Amino acid sequence: MTEATPAPAPARTRHAALVWMTSQSPIVVTVLALVLGFFVGALIIITTTPAVLDAWRGLFHSWGAPGDALKVTFDNVGAAYRSMFTGSVFDPAQLWHSMTTGKGFDASLTPISETLTYATPLIIISTGVGIAFQTGLFNIGANGQAVLGGIAGGVAGSMLHMPMILHLPVTLIAGIAGGMVCGVIPGVLKAFTGAHEVIVTIMLNYVIYAFLLFAVLSTAFQQPGQSNDISRTMAPSAQLPPLFGAASGLRVSYGIFVALAVVLFAWWFLDRSSIGFDFRVTGANPSAAKASGISSRTVIVLVFLISGGLAGLAGIVQAASTTHYIDGGFLIGNAGIGFTAITIALLGRNRPMGILLSSLLFAALGVGGRTMQAATGIPLDLATVIQSIVVLFVATPVLVKEIFHLRAAKTEVLQLATQGWGS
Amino acid sequence: MRNIRRLGTVLGAASLVLGTLTVSVAATTVSASAATKFKACVVTDTGGINDKSFNASAWAGAEAAAKQDKNIDPSYLSSTSSADYSPNIKTFEGEGCGIIVTVGFLMDPATLAGANADAKQKFAIVDDAPVGLKHDNVLALQYETDQAGFLGGMLAAGKSVTGTVATYGGEDFSSVTLYMNGFVAGVRYYDKTYNAKVKVLGWTPAKGACSLATCNGKGTFVGNFTDQTAGKTITTGDFSDGADIVFPVAGSVGLGSVAAAQQAGAGHSIMWVDSNGCVSDATDCKWFVGTVAKGVEPSVEAAVLAAAKGTFKGGSYVGTLANSGTLLEYGGIKVPSKLKSEIATAKAGIIAGTISVNPNKYPVG
Repeated sequence: MTEATPAPAPARTRHAALVWMTSQSPIVVTVLALVLGFFVGALIIITTTPAVLDAWRGLFHSWGAPGDALKVTFDNVGAAYRSMFTGSVFDPAQLWHSMTTGKGFDASLTPISETLTYATPLIIISTGVGIAFQTGLFNIGANGQAVLGGIAGGVAGSMLHMPMILHLPVTLIAGIAGGMVCGVIPGVLKAFTGAHEVIVTIMLNYVIYAFLLFAVLSTAFQQPGQSNDISRTMAPSAQLPPLFGAASGLRVSYGIFVALAVVLFAWWFLDRSSIGFDFRVTGANPSAAKASGISSRTVIVLVFLISGGLAGLAGIVQAASTTHYIDGGFLIGNAGIGFTAITIALLGRNRPMGILLSSLLFAALGVGGRTMQAATGIPLDLATVIQSIVVLFVATPVLVKEIFHLRAAKTEVLQLATQGWGS
Repeated sequence: MRNIRRLGTVLGAASLVLGTLTVSVAATTVSASAATKFKACVVTDTGGINDKSFNASAWAGAEAAAKQDKNIDPSYLSSTSSADYSPNIKTFEGEGCGIIVTVGFLMDPATLAGANADAKQKFAIVDDAPVGLKHDNVLALQYETDQAGFLGGMLAAGKSVTGTVATYGGEDFSSVTLYMNGFVAGVRYYDKTYNAKVKVLGWTPAKGACSLATCNGKGTFVGNFTDQTAGKTITTGDFSDGADIVFPVAGSVGLGSVAAAQQAGAGHSIMWVDSNGCVSDATDCKWFVGTVAKGVEPSVEAAVLAAAKGTFKGGSYVGTLANSGTLLEYGGIKVPSKLKSEIATAKAGIIAGTISVNPNKYPVG
């Protein structure tokens, strides 16, 4: 939190806190955007759930009807959001049960384990995308880079044989290298020919998808004895093992530590290293960066190496911690984390800490949405709607400011967050 | 200004209180209703419940069961990729589903893992029989589609004017090739029995008989179950090679074949697969000579009903002509009654075991 108040007298602190809560600070705007997202989600539940609509239709039939209608509305909206919470964080009743009886901890920890499992690759890939954004560059090809990283890591993990202490690092490094190979192409093209990175990265995605099908159908990499598009299974020595052991049934793996290491690295890199400083200066003001002797070519190529490498790492972490194989649908379609990463980086304002929190939020909405659909029948897509609305409001702070009558921020923050999006 | 802001604070606090109320009210009602209902849960493959093919049929089976037994509450989760299989199964386990229906043999490993982890959780899996089960909690639903495919082959051979029919598959799985193998057997049987000379393109059976698990041979495959353009190209090619009836065993890819038949015009028709084409795709009914159907819906319905009644038993269900788990349905094209009675005779023979559906038993026509 950059808004650390300079320790005034107790009476003034309360006032200062109130001022901060009604200001346009990015944290306030994000939280309010979240509130708006859930509010719109509730409206959608109300207008699309037959039971709720029926209750409101009966409004004029009896004196008790308005009360009933309200109750039905609250029941349905509440059930949806309640199952979203219990499915992604924890179920209080279940947790209490396991704490008092000492049994069933698997079931009570499953929701948070699933959220962390989903968040792991998101954190890594969004950090990479965020670093590129901070430099004023758009990496729309993170998905293809992650797929290539997954293929490279999958090959290393399934076709090489060595002890785990070597095999796991080799697999992860192969993943990073795969992502870098795919990332450096748009970087070099941009740096030396001026080709726009958006076009090149987005088109490379399709090349990589085609390559993925080729790879998983080629005899060397395809699962022996299968004729469909599925790769060999990675050796146990190349897999990121579950944190609490395979017997626990909890899927959260050591990959979460890889993700945390990436966040730490990104924070150090951007805030403490001199190359990171060059990156940020280039992003903030390319001409000033040039004038002060920063080579924009080097920066562009380096940014794409790092961003692509992190995307590749995300791809192999995803494969090594969950499925342990790559198939023709790997990270394609709705599972395309490289595109989710763009919104997460925006929501997290391209800062490592912000990206960590937004990834957890997106993962929780996705995982909780599944439980919501299973429990209440409200489609999982509602979670996507809420995600999109939150991002929409974060991207247009003016709307949030108008809706909640926030006062203008004293500091620079909002400008900084959206910089690079118009260049 | 300050008053407005104070109002905002009050409103904010009020919405918080209301929110908490909602959650607590909901908490009590949800747990009350969940205890009494039997949950029937379907995990679909990436096709989703609107694929007009077997994911749709499995979901229709669960809904049909719910119509019969009001105590059944059906719900589904679609998989967006194969990475979703196990989390979807796990979510349903957490929801206390009485039975989890998984659709398709690609879900075999996830179903096997879920079933072995919890002996009390009942499963039914469509088109697959997991190997390595530790408990008796999985019902494998499989279908001897070569029996109905045989009748489809006879129908095609009897209806063909050009003397050539064709088939192709989505992917080279036994659940696909079994249909094609039966189709070829039916054509060869028709040739031998009724002195015809109808040829089949698109599938050459290997030596030996087929089983549910393996059915080998050489044939034409699209490589997936979604590329309708490829289906159209293959079918147009078959038409120009002289075929006039094509049997696509490729889910929605077959719609490309329908488009090819429309383009080629009268005299060209399609044998549909899985679920009766004149129901699932009624507007194209006049192009269908028939459907080689697979009874996914009734068998899923039966499994769900049994689980709800407490009479569920693990093991395997095999759909045959005898139990209508696979059958030939006629389409929008008129079939002479002589041919219909020939097919009925062959059906009785297959059920009685006097007619083999192994194409290698008959000479190549």
